[in-house]
Amino acid sequence: MSTTPHRHQAPPANKGLLALAGVLLAIPVVALMLVGTYAKDEPRVAGFPFFIWYQFLWVVICSVFTYTAYRIVLKARPHVPMNPEGDAYLDDESREDGLR
Amino acid sequence: MSAIAPAATNTGVNGVALAVLIFFFVVVAAAGFWAARWRRPESMESLEEWGLGGRSFGTWITWFLLGGDLYTAYTFVAVPAAMFAFGAVNGFFAVPYTIVLYPIIFVFMSRLWSVSHRHGYVTPADFVHGRSGSRGLSLAVAVTGFLATMPYIALQLVGIQAVLEVAGVGGGGNIIAKDAPIFIAFLVLALYTYTSGLRAPAIIAFVKDILIYLVIIVAVIYLPSKVGGWDHIFDAAKEKMTTTTNAATGNKNVFIPGDKAYWAYGTLALGSALALFMYPHSITASLSAKNRNTIRKNASILPAYSFLLGLLALLGWVAIAAGTKPIGLDGKPNAQLVVPQLFEDMFPSWFAGIAFAAIAIGALVPAAIMSIAAANTFTRNIYKAWIKPDATVQQEAKVSKVTSLVVKAFALLFVLLLDKSNAINFQLLGGIWILQTFPSLVFYLYTRWFHRWALLAGWAVGMVYGTLGAYNVTNKATGAPFAGSVASIPVIGQLGYIALTAFAINVIVAAVLTLVLRAVKAPEGVDETIPADYFADAGDPRVQKLETGPHEYTPSN
Repeated sequence: MSTTPHRHQAPPANKGLLALAGVLLAIPVVALMLVGTYAKDEPRVAGFPFFIWYQFLWVVICSVFTYTAYRIVLKARPHVPMNPEGDAYLDDESREDGLR
Repeated sequence: MSAIAPAATNTGVNGVALAVLIFFFVVVAAAGFWAARWRRPESMESLEEWGLGGRSFGTWITWFLLGGDLYTAYTFVAVPAAMFAFGAVNGFFAVPYTIVLYPIIFVFMSRLWSVSHRHGYVTPADFVHGRSGSRGLSLAVAVTGFLATMPYIALQLVGIQAVLEVAGVGGGGNIIAKDAPIFIAFLVLALYTYTSGLRAPAIIAFVKDILIYLVIIVAVIYLPSKVGGWDHIFDAAKEKMTTTTNAATGNKNVFIPGDKAYWAYGTLALGSALALFMYPHSITASLSAKNRNTIRKNASILPAYSFLLGLLALLGWVAIAAGTKPIGLDGKPNAQLVVPQLFEDMFPSWFAGIAFAAIAIGALVPAAIMSIAAANTFTRNIYKAWIKPDATVQQEAKVSKVTSLVVKAFALLFVLLLDKSNAINFQLLGGIWILQTFPSLVFYLYTRWFHRWALLAGWAVGMVYGTLGAYNVTNKATGAPFAGSVASIPVIGQLGYIALTAFAINVIVAAVLTLVLRAVKAPEGVDETIPADYFADAGDPRVQKLETGPHEYTPSN
């Protein structure tokens, strides 16, 4: 059994989709760092100040964005299994055709 | 457990609540011991099994385990207490903190899972060692993790104490009667952690989370109607916050942050979020997942706990409207008691008992995981790396089990013998320190551009700056150091979280020194990982390690 696998590169990925997932993940972080945009009392909803319900709203939005990003990254970089020796990917031959 | 009974003769004991609390405690203790048989491994005698549950936990178990691990009893006690006493900047920042947390871990945690799966890493310092080839940097990460975890465990005891104090136990004159309940609780915890390893908190987390969700949902629906509705609650909070001042910092209390507090609020949230998954216990729970994407799927369902935490935080303001008076058994006001006191005042005693049980059990789960993670760190990165490089997996497991007992005994002594404020100060420092390991851990997941010695220097500068920064925040009322976690940010001139400032300085030092070290061609360490390792999943083969000392890996090309 090989103890020193060859330096195999990461599995191929759709860079555009990865970037899209990155944007979805960045939006909640940026939105919540802009404290000045939501540090206010009005308008209240059901008695809750804007400051409070707006942040609760982001809990839900962030969860949806993160799940979407999860589905996207699964598509963007599908898992490629390794061979039992761990020194090559199992479908290496099929990748010779220009996919690198 | 019958030893708790004599304490029930104290005055002010809520008998029914206490009986319910003890009942649940016995149930989880039994579950903790039974956990050793759950998904029974062939042998418990390895860190893979004892310390990581065999890396076998699926989405739901991971969800309960991480939820039980990250949202600790201290959070449940301290966040509403901060809301009650000081307002939104001190308390409600926990909500944006636990929101931005998940996109951040989504990005890097899968890579850490994959490389740890391939190379059998158990702790963050294991990875840093394998990636950098530097024993020194790995030791720095290990020691930081270990030191930062200890006061965190001690604070779980503070959470249990708060519950017991309101239930009327633990106020006896002599040290035996006063501390016997907490002593027994921790002894039982230590024993089932010893026998069952990470499986024990994984099982108990189910009980804990179900109780917590039940209590919070009932509290949020029932309590506001009793105290005049949410409108009245927020008006009462506004009234209190705009007319009072934080005696320790001299700042006005905060209903909604004013423009001077924007930076403090944002940096507290971001800095805490970056730091949380540097703690060994968070990483232990993540690495116990059974495949690469479990943690990503979890990042989208864990915010359910953030919602819960937000509601819990608001209970601090509900208590203002309810006129709750959190007075300790010593007769002094103690804001930390506000949530248990609110429950005792407003709920029938049997339900108050369930609420107390939820908080107390909420302390046992993270305390168990933290002690396991600290023990693994000691075993792998101090014992095996420096003391006994040829330790077998059985010896590793043995050392970890014993260390987990020592760690808990130490935490117990810490709380019983020292002033509680010491535990809180150290926890504050722990948060600042642990963030200084971020570059070594997370940057290395992506790039080896940073030089290992530069990362070590950056870490050292960040640690010193952060410690001094926190020390220099003095309590305006008493003159004591470590009075808070925000200080003026150099250059920007606004108040900000010290940990994040120290982190920025850390990164700048590491980057500049990297350029210098590259220029003088300082030797690079040997990297035992390959790019493909960061994308491995369950089913991909493990790298077979040669039976040599951890610092003697042969170069792989």
